[in-house]
Amino acid sequence: MSSRPQRPSSPGPEIRATPGAFPSTPAEDNSPTISSHYSLSQAVHARRAEFTKSRTIRVKVGTWNVAALSDTEKDVGGWFIGGKGVSDKLSGLRVTDEDDPKKDEHGNTLDLKDIESVAHQEARRTKKVSSLPRHDPGSLPGGDDIDIYVLGLQEIVDINSPTEALRPFVDPHPAKKWKRAVIEALPDGYCRIADQQLIGLLLLVYASPAIAPTITSVSSTSVGTGLMGYMGNKGAVTTRIVLGETTRLVFINCHLAAGTDKNMVDRRNWDAQQILNRTKFEPVYDGSGVLEEFGPGIGDEDFAFWFGDLNYRLDSLPADDVRRLLMLHTRNEYDSGVLSSKKIESELSKLPNATISGSNHRSSEDSGFSSNTAFTSSSEQSSVTLPVDPHSDPASLQTTLSSLLPHDQLHMQMRARKAFHDGWREGPINFLPTYKYDVGSVGMFDSSEKRRGPSWCDRILYRTRKDVLDYERKVREEDKAKKRDEELQARGVAKAIADDEDVLFDYDPETDGAENDYDENLDADPGVVVTKLGYEDRLHLDYYTSHQRVLSSDHKPLDAVFTLTYDAVDTDLKAQIHQEVARELDKAENEGRPGVTIVVDHHSPDHDGSTNDDPTSASFEGVNFGHVRYDQPKTRGITIANTGRVPATFGFVDRPSGEHQNGASPPWLSIEFDRPSNNQNSNANALQEYTLPPGDALTVDLTLRITSISQVRLLNDSSQPHLEDVLVLRVTNGRDHFIPIRATWLPSSFGRSIDKLIRIPEGGVRKLQHQRPHGSSGGSSTPVKWSAPREVFRLTEAIEELVERAAAEWGMRGEGGDEKPPWEEGLGWPFVEGGWRWEPGKEREGLKMRVREALDTDQAFDTTWTPDVPALWRLEVLAETLLEFLTSLEDGVVPEHLWAGLEAAIIEREKTKSTLSADEERAVILDSLASSPPHSVAFTFLTFMLARVANEVAPLASEPRKSHPKATGRARARTRSHDPARLRRRQVEQSLAALFAGVVVRAPMVGGRERERRASEGRRMRVVEVFLVGKGVG
Amino acid sequence: MSARASTGSRPGGQGRFAQFKLVLLGESAVGKSSLVLRFVKDQFDDYRESTIGAAFLTQTIALDDHTTVKFEIWDTAGQERYKSLAPMYYRNANCAVVVYDITQASSLDKAKAWVKELQRQANENIIIALAGNKLDLVTEHPDKRVVSTVDAEAYAREAGLLFFETSAKTAENVRELFTAIARKLPLEQAGARNLRSNPRPGVDLRPEAPGTQGAGACNC
Repeated sequence: MSSRPQRPSSPGPEIRATPGAFPSTPAEDNSPTISSHYSLSQAVHARRAEFTKSRTIRVKVGTWNVAALSDTEKDVGGWFIGGKGVSDKLSGLRVTDEDDPKKDEHGNTLDLKDIESVAHQEARRTKKVSSLPRHDPGSLPGGDDIDIYVLGLQEIVDINSPTEALRPFVDPHPAKKWKRAVIEALPDGYCRIADQQLIGLLLLVYASPAIAPTITSVSSTSVGTGLMGYMGNKGAVTTRIVLGETTRLVFINCHLAAGTDKNMVDRRNWDAQQILNRTKFEPVYDGSGVLEEFGPGIGDEDFAFWFGDLNYRLDSLPADDVRRLLMLHTRNEYDSGVLSSKKIESELSKLPNATISGSNHRSSEDSGFSSNTAFTSSSEQSSVTLPVDPHSDPASLQTTLSSLLPHDQLHMQMRARKAFHDGWREGPINFLPTYKYDVGSVGMFDSSEKRRGPSWCDRILYRTRKDVLDYERKVREEDKAKKRDEELQARGVAKAIADDEDVLFDYDPETDGAENDYDENLDADPGVVVTKLGYEDRLHLDYYTSHQRVLSSDHKPLDAVFTLTYDAVDTDLKAQIHQEVARELDKAENEGRPGVTIVVDHHSPDHDGSTNDDPTSASFEGVNFGHVRYDQPKTRGITIANTGRVPATFGFVDRPSGEHQNGASPPWLSIEFDRPSNNQNSNANALQEYTLPPGDALTVDLTLRITSISQVRLLNDSSQPHLEDVLVLRVTNGRDHFIPIRATWLPSSFGRSIDKLIRIPEGGVRKLQHQRPHGSSGGSSTPVKWSAPREVFRLTEAIEELVERAAAEWGMRGEGGDEKPPWEEGLGWPFVEGGWRWEPGKEREGLKMRVREALDTDQAFDTTWTPDVPALWRLEVLAETLLEFLTSLEDGVVPEHLWAGLEAAIIEREKTKSTLSADEERAVILDSLASSPPHSVAFTFLTFMLARVANEVAPLASEPRKSHPKATGRARARTRSHDPARLRRRQVEQSLAALFAGVVVRAPMVGGRERERRASEGRRMRVVEVFLVGKGVG
Repeated sequence: MSARASTGSRPGGQGRFAQFKLVLLGESAVGKSSLVLRFVKDQFDDYRESTIGAAFLTQTIALDDHTTVKFEIWDTAGQERYKSLAPMYYRNANCAVVVYDITQASSLDKAKAWVKELQRQANENIIIALAGNKLDLVTEHPDKRVVSTVDAEAYAREAGLLFFETSAKTAENVRELFTAIARKLPLEQAGARNLRSNPRPGVDLRPEAPGTQGAGACNC
């Protein structure tokens, strides 16, 4: 019969839905309809245009090497925040516009003529106050015109001092001094968002009150490249910020190796490379509660600003020549006759005539990398306002600067692609070299012993993500062009040998390849920088200039103002969009869930016609099996249809019901689908799942069969003769369906005790069901109806009759058959399988059911058989039923307490007499059992029946079988004790005795020695056997 | 706990994201499914068939700019015969809504029994909310009320439950109920591993690390 192949009961580790486990949730599957954080973020991001707003801010980047000089901080507010100290004439910057006169804080028009003269400024200078010129209204945007201030300082402590370098901790005081000076100069509400110090290097970032709250993912770090390549006397301090959740900025303040030696250029390049390689930031918090990637470095940002004392010098120019050339310009700043003017004049007189003329004027624009048409350079602005183009005026400062710039090491390194070549750019240099001046002087280049050559040591570079990508593409294309060129040349040469010389052509990869440059970008706005997150930003350099009139250091401070336009996330709008998106995703998810409909087949015919006579069945929405009996399989069908719009995968999951059962179904119910499961090859313990496309359906057979005697007893004793349970069908990503199971139990005589059986009223155990007010057990209060269980009597009686009839019928078949009679094939026949003529199977099971039904309803067996069932088959079925019935007895024919007395009596006799006659043995047994008449009588029925059976299947010679004359003849010939018939009889007796002793005697084997156990076993067998022997021997 | 917090890495998200399992329990016909329908679809049916099974739905709510909570809701059958299956749904749930009908005294008793069972058998950190549903019935006919707000509230306080009187029909307090649960859930734990960087928008204004005293540097 069905062995419940779909749902083995032993739970294994692969069971996904263990009872009590929370149902696995859809998000764990990779279903595309399921929203996760990932898809939610994706969907929100896709609508970013709806919640980002373009924002334009100004960023000022300043750098200053303060040479560890005290009181330099007194100037920082003035030049960096106030935009003061720019010398109009010494920088190409023409900030004074006649049409837009500067006003002071009181609204009074300020005139640059009011600004303190250089001579006066230098003369009055003390360390107590700012060295900046008085009455300078400031010529660069500052104050609250700037949203982000980024200040890089170098040498705030003496970096050459071993105490500073080897200090185990950072002395907070120098940095504190600077922070105080900056915050005092900043407008109210500005706050510091980052600071990072590495010995002499200090990086400070401030933001306006409007911008500060939109800055996230601030990460600052230091890289030392000084002594041994790692010490912090040189190196960089770097900060990364994210603006408005969209735009990443990196600020690098560095101090590279100093020195004019040729090899120091390489060292500076190396330092820069180290800074690039070794700078690592904290992962970005992307605004989703999520860390993006670990340790991004420089290059991952959208905009980078690299500034500081890069220390690149002017190559191959005599320092004195440069000083002289430049001081020819700076002396104009002085009124003749003043002390400082005299000093500069005397300095000039010592210097040889300039060897550098303005003829070699390649402007910085011509170098091709330091400016870009996308950015309006300040020199272009000034060229409009100046009456004479300074580039073409041989006497102009710009001409001089242009003649020097080609010697700038930084530009040379960039051009040679040795440093700062990958996308870095710089504004046009229209200001004097920032190094090295006499402290306290506006224009006196180092007049000390060393007379260092003036250089643009201090620089501000920047690059965008686009610059990096453009550079990378350019390199790729050059590589390609180079390869192509090599191929062409190889081919060309080969051809030239074979053909005419005219075939050779001049191919220049530089120019030829250039035609294809940036083709894909032709229609794109060149100013647009697509950020890492896909936003379109723009960066514009507004100003790039030095503050010549700052006197407190030997370097002039330098700053640049940028206008940055970027898409900033509007958090309110984003929250709104986020909610909308979440709602849409939830909706899609919930509406896209698979759905099935379960139809219970209520019309399954019940072969015994007892369907649904339960009055409550009409309102019952589950699977109702109607009346069920012991060991009677019943099947009901359910149909599962996919009524959803997507494929549905489902299966019955384990339920937590009761203490001992927690499979997908109770032990008495098996589930069989009409097709193999999706995972039929996997572990049998795994949840079996089935998938249906929309519109498809399958059927499931549920088969109920109660075979467990303990279950039978439970039901027999229950006041509620119902079996109830619930199956749980789980649709993956969908709902759980509960399928209630119900059946009404028909009481059975099986599984009861003899004491209960003798109280069963006439009409069988079913009568009990209708009589009892409560409880069907027929407890000791109900009257005794029978001297012994009627079922035992009826079965033994029928078996006796049938065994005789079967033997007779076999004889009637005559001698012709070669076939041995069945009882000669198996010694336990007809009770056990050996020799059965009717193979076990459905038909036989059906007949057994009818036999049990006849017992329970007290119907004659004759009504059970159809006439065509031969006696032999009937006998086998009844014999098997009897053995099962005896096995199911709660107490047994010889229960434990009776056996204890019986065995004691036997042992007693064994001691007193060496041998007992069969009669004596029988007397002992019956005496002992007499204390419980129902058991005693049942025992007698059984042993009597067994004796009759033994006589029929193994007759002895003295009792010749009329129906079998030939066998009788043979038996007669051998009446001696050794004749085969007697031998066979002994074997049959022993087999039957052993078989029945096992079910009749219900006492547990008392443990102990093997010999004792064997003795007890022997006694049990003997108790039955003694009633079989001798009976026929007469 | 079984809450999951996402570790995805896509831009444009919305702060912390955590998923929680929520189970609805209560006597048959108190309005569990109606509450869910109101919460998830903002709908109401006057006549609903009783749930035979456990309906599964999800609903995401944003607690604030940067916190998103997704509920995985199991709406269980209230009928007595399915009671033994309830542990399948509540045993690993992060939160439970136990519903009663303010016009049926017995439904509160049943709710109390559920609370007791949850407190004994469910996850020890489970957040339980008590919801007295069908508030709409008593606004029109105050005499229909048999469970007083004060009594239920006192019980809820004593048992440590969130408490709301709701109406799935008018939507009164429905969203509030679920939002209150979300706020009480241990978001920090659920999302802790994703929150290594500053979880708040804007600048980190915490006191600075030692050695870089910056107090007073910012007057924001």
